[in-house]
Amino acid sequence: MRKRLWGRPARLIVAAAALAGLAVLVAGTATARTTAAKANCGTVTLNEQAWTGSTANTYVAKYVLEKYLGCKVKVTDIAEIPVYQAMAQGKVDAVLEDWQHVAQYKQYATKQKSVVLEGSNGLTGHIGWFIPRYLLKKYPSFKTWKGLKGHESVFASPEAPQGMFLGGDPSYEQKDTQLIQALGLKLKHVTVGAETAEVARFSQLIAQKKPVIMYWWTPEYRNAEFDLVEVKLPARMKSCQDDGTVKAPLKDFRCAYSSYPLEKVFSSKFVKSGSPAVAVLKRFKWPSNSDQNLVSSWIAGEHMDAQKAAEKYVKSHMSAVNKWLGK
Amino acid sequence: MAASSIAAAPAAVFSHRPWWRSRTTLVAAIVAVMVICHLTLSRTLTWPNSLVWHSLTHYLDNMQNWLAAEGDKTHPSIVYRVIHGISSALDALVRWLYHLLSKWLTWPATTVLGGLLSLRFGGRRAAAIMVASFAAFATLGLWDESMQTLALMLVAVALSLLVGVPLGVLAGRSDRFERMITPVLDAMQIVPAFAYLMPVVIFFSVGPAAAVITTMVYSVPPAVRITSLGIRSVPANTVEAATAIGSTGRQLLWKVQLPLARRLLLLSVNQTILFALSMVVIAGLINTEGGLGAPVTNGLNSNPALAILAGAAIVVMAIALDRVTEAIAERTDPARRHLDVAGRKRARVATVAALAAIAVTAALGHAFSAGAAYSRWTAQDWLLARVQSVLDYVQKPTTFLFNEITNPLGTFLVAHLLQPLDTFLVETPWFVTLAGLTAIAFILSGIRPAATTALMFALIGAIGEWRDAMDTFSQVLVATAIAVVLGIVLGVLAAESNRVSRVVRPINDILQTLPQLVYVIPFVYVFPISYVPGLIASVLYAFPVVVRLVERGVRDVAPPAVEAAGAFGATRLQVLVKVKIPLARDAIMLGINQGLIMVLAVVVIAGLVGSGALGYAVAAGLQRGQFGIGVVASIAILAMGIALDRVTRGNRGTAKGGQG
Amino acid sequence: MIGTPDVDLPRSELRAKTGCVAAVRDVSFDVRPGEVFVVMGLSGSGKSTLVRTLIRLIEPTAGRVEIDGHDVTAASREQLLRLRRHTSSMVFQHFGLLAHRTVLDNVAFGLEVQGVAKSERHARAAEVLKLVGLEDAASQFPDELSGGMQQRVGLARAFAVDPKVMLYDEPFSALDPLIRRDMQDEVIRLQHETGKTMVFITHDLPEALRLGDRIAIMRDGRIVQLGEPEDLVGSPADDYVANFIRDIPRSHVLTLRWIMRPPVDGERLDAPRVPVTTTVRDVVPRLANSEQPVLATEGDRVVGVVDREAVLRAIAGEGD
Repeated sequence: MRKRLWGRPARLIVAAAALAGLAVLVAGTATARTTAAKANCGTVTLNEQAWTGSTANTYVAKYVLEKYLGCKVKVTDIAEIPVYQAMAQGKVDAVLEDWQHVAQYKQYATKQKSVVLEGSNGLTGHIGWFIPRYLLKKYPSFKTWKGLKGHESVFASPEAPQGMFLGGDPSYEQKDTQLIQALGLKLKHVTVGAETAEVARFSQLIAQKKPVIMYWWTPEYRNAEFDLVEVKLPARMKSCQDDGTVKAPLKDFRCAYSSYPLEKVFSSKFVKSGSPAVAVLKRFKWPSNSDQNLVSSWIAGEHMDAQKAAEKYVKSHMSAVNKWLGK
Repeated sequence: MAASSIAAAPAAVFSHRPWWRSRTTLVAAIVAVMVICHLTLSRTLTWPNSLVWHSLTHYLDNMQNWLAAEGDKTHPSIVYRVIHGISSALDALVRWLYHLLSKWLTWPATTVLGGLLSLRFGGRRAAAIMVASFAAFATLGLWDESMQTLALMLVAVALSLLVGVPLGVLAGRSDRFERMITPVLDAMQIVPAFAYLMPVVIFFSVGPAAAVITTMVYSVPPAVRITSLGIRSVPANTVEAATAIGSTGRQLLWKVQLPLARRLLLLSVNQTILFALSMVVIAGLINTEGGLGAPVTNGLNSNPALAILAGAAIVVMAIALDRVTEAIAERTDPARRHLDVAGRKRARVATVAALAAIAVTAALGHAFSAGAAYSRWTAQDWLLARVQSVLDYVQKPTTFLFNEITNPLGTFLVAHLLQPLDTFLVETPWFVTLAGLTAIAFILSGIRPAATTALMFALIGAIGEWRDAMDTFSQVLVATAIAVVLGIVLGVLAAESNRVSRVVRPINDILQTLPQLVYVIPFVYVFPISYVPGLIASVLYAFPVVVRLVERGVRDVAPPAVEAAGAFGATRLQVLVKVKIPLARDAIMLGINQGLIMVLAVVVIAGLVGSGALGYAVAAGLQRGQFGIGVVASIAILAMGIALDRVTRGNRGTAKGGQG
Repeated sequence: MIGTPDVDLPRSELRAKTGCVAAVRDVSFDVRPGEVFVVMGLSGSGKSTLVRTLIRLIEPTAGRVEIDGHDVTAASREQLLRLRRHTSSMVFQHFGLLAHRTVLDNVAFGLEVQGVAKSERHARAAEVLKLVGLEDAASQFPDELSGGMQQRVGLARAFAVDPKVMLYDEPFSALDPLIRRDMQDEVIRLQHETGKTMVFITHDLPEALRLGDRIAIMRDGRIVQLGEPEDLVGSPADDYVANFIRDIPRSHVLTLRWIMRPPVDGERLDAPRVPVTTTVRDVVPRLANSEQPVLATEGDRVVGVVDREAVLRAIAGEGD
């Protein structure tokens, strides 16, 4: 087969080469025309973190920058910690939602000054212990942590017969092991792993109307769907510690998690670049938690393309977008 | 006078020990003693705090900060400047290749390039596979991502071979070098990538270079190992003949050993590709051009169906590259496929014609502005909807599958297997566990593996990971046991039946290259119990290698032995059980050994979907910026890996005898 | 080991004591130019090790090897390479051909490692291939040839470098008997045509007797007897050798020297004359045709008388 395919080669080669040369010439002139675009903004690189809210931020910002400023926006998917190094070197321009990576703030923003904290993206992050509402109806005492005492076995599971506390993704800030110990509860802290795994676990328990108590947070687009309520934990005090990996006396963990603004973090190089995108991204702020939840639910709940979801949001929320644009 | 050592006395494989001194009985006895200790002694006897080197984590953190600070200085040291140079060169190389595959060639010419190169060197079947894979990228709507990944993989594989083959040649020619390099290779394969992503980023920044380096850490070892095996497999009499005729060492290497090791060298290309592709997702975490890794990491949270499609594209790429390189290896082997002068001339002409055709297509592509990436009709939306509906079914806790099968099964596994074993290992006093494991290692493999075991588990205790390690250890044991049983059964079946073999092979390939993060998601829903999805991920990743080794072992049993048994009137089953399986013992042991290493390689992924313990600590180390914690947990995984490897490998060692 | 009491230990005790085996020890012999020197022994007797130590494919732990006036054991790396490239050539039991090269390139391999130009080495290789009758197979690959043909390639490769010494390590034991005979004829023919010195290793006594000018019989790493074929058959040094040669038809090996008696004074000297090196077998027809004995001569001199009875006794003694 091959032999016949490549018969009479010499003439064929000459012809092919000639044809190729000609075509390259044609193509060269054809492509030259297409490269003109709105200049001055250039390329902006935004990093999308591994949760849906972040996808919403990134693509809404991308749509705005591309549509109104003529920027070219590149989206990267670098992990949360390495992305600091990327921003320090100017390989990524901005992260639009950072959940308090204090150690990195110290290293990169304070010490090196290679990244700049640009304040809140309009959202308030809050971590806490959550239970489904049907459970609260059955056990009204679960409203506060004190009501859990003595009822731990309600949360029994195959891996924790004494009562399971569903822990969060290892990458998220948490102190539940210490907190459970400090509160003297008999729950066993069970980590099911990444966020997806945690959601899988509790969404199934909720679908079966079974008891569950877990590490969870707001804003999260699914909170309304799941109808979760927060269990009240001891009030915060001065020495309060939220990060379980820090070495601190047990009593310092005996308090609720704090609420904090979700930070925008820019690369210093980007800030100094003079790009018109800098000002717009500095003003980028969700009007409320529910705005991001809305976009997130389109993306993850209805499986809408992120690009289209962003377009839909921008078109229906022009007043917010105009503020970002400084109009 | 001349002296040469000869093989030592045959190992006591078939010794006639009384039943009460058989290995099984002794191990059972030790376990019984451990259980008694577990039941009688206090449960609070965990590894004493005074024996833990607490500041290790701290030192490691400091080291990382120091490295980062060094690298960020305005005038970094020469080491950093060299590394930055390498880094930029790698970045440029990957980007150049990506531009070649997209912008310069345009998508039609890239397809033609893949197809014609495969046709020229691999034959028609290879060409069909290659073109089909490109069609799949287009259909999945992931053309651009695929080209990014392809460019990255080609560079990573080429560099892995550039580093791995020379090292493998050295290892093949020198026993001492092989002994030196083996533990390093083991470490490269066992230490989870999550642990060294941050240092890689500090040295190589984020981008293609960092991704290439991360990938290479995992894909160089197979290149070294298989090359060494290839050099060693060159018939000794040929090497001797070439030596006798006056070849220098270099002539021997270039004219005899490398050409004759060709088949295995190409197999190493093959394995390097598969190993490299299994790193796509993790390498994507530190790459600005994440390729197919990006939709996987991101899709997992917002669009699992897309993650699955991207996983499928990775598998397609792996299988296509595997089959095509294999076909090329077969067809271009001069020892097997003899070309006469006319044939060689025809082949040369075909090469030129193929290049011309590629150039023409590229030119046409530009002329008709076909574009860098295929962006016309795709079946992505349709596929997403289909996959999503399956996921929706899987996520429903009211289905038959969930209620009647997976949920009870998962509960059973956890309640009656994992949980008790975990409790047993965690709560038994540490010195009892340490002594017991050492004794078992001694009975199974002898004094040296036992010493290694004792040392490694003591190290785990000393770095403060005893508890987590016992937790992980219990899961590793269960996962390995399941993978080995499954692997041996399937491997034997595949060896006995070509039909089974044909079905099993693609499944193996898929399981080895499909990112675990992708296929583990459905299991997270179907078995929503911690440990189980991780267990399944480990088993699915580990059993293919067991199948492969067992199949090869059973198939390679010398025909005379089988024939002789047949002549005595043995049935097929008797032949299998009494002749083939015992004779394939070495291959089966190697299967267990490799299965263990594979299980350890997914400890982190397992940790992310509920197995917790060491894997969880490693992942947390990366994601919370706690370098020290991640590294310490990785050391524990490595120590466990070395101990388990030596114990399972010990048997192979004695069976072969002191040939060194 | 030399100079210690271990030197005289039997093999099994030595192994028990040191974990090593002396494959070859206390062996010393000379090979004359143009001679076919056969080393014969059962497997494990050390004969293959012996031939390898000659060109240091196995390094001898002690002792001295000299080839063509050069001390091989003391040779530098370059000298050793020169020796292997130009002075000696070896033919192996399992051929050791390069599977990825044509027959022609295999034969030219020795010249290639010497750095001979391609056209020159191909011409020489073609010439040698003709010598072994394989000129038509030049562009084939080893796996397309039968075992016998492959070994002819091995022979041609060894001859192509025109060595002074040819070393054969059981070259024909992997071949079936008919081909083996052909190949032995081939070696005899080549020996006649080229007159090279040959060291030939075999475990096959008939082969040894057929080819060897002199034969060394090895056992447990030592030479138990060294001599011409008829010496071995006529006067085996010990029971081991005697046992070995038991099945050999003595009449095929023994010459008249072994059965003649001195001429009696006044005996008639007009009987037929035959050279004393004639084998017993070959003299049978003569004796069968006449009642007279024959006279064994060395040059013109009569050295002995052989009569019917002596021949019959020699033949009848076979198989004892």
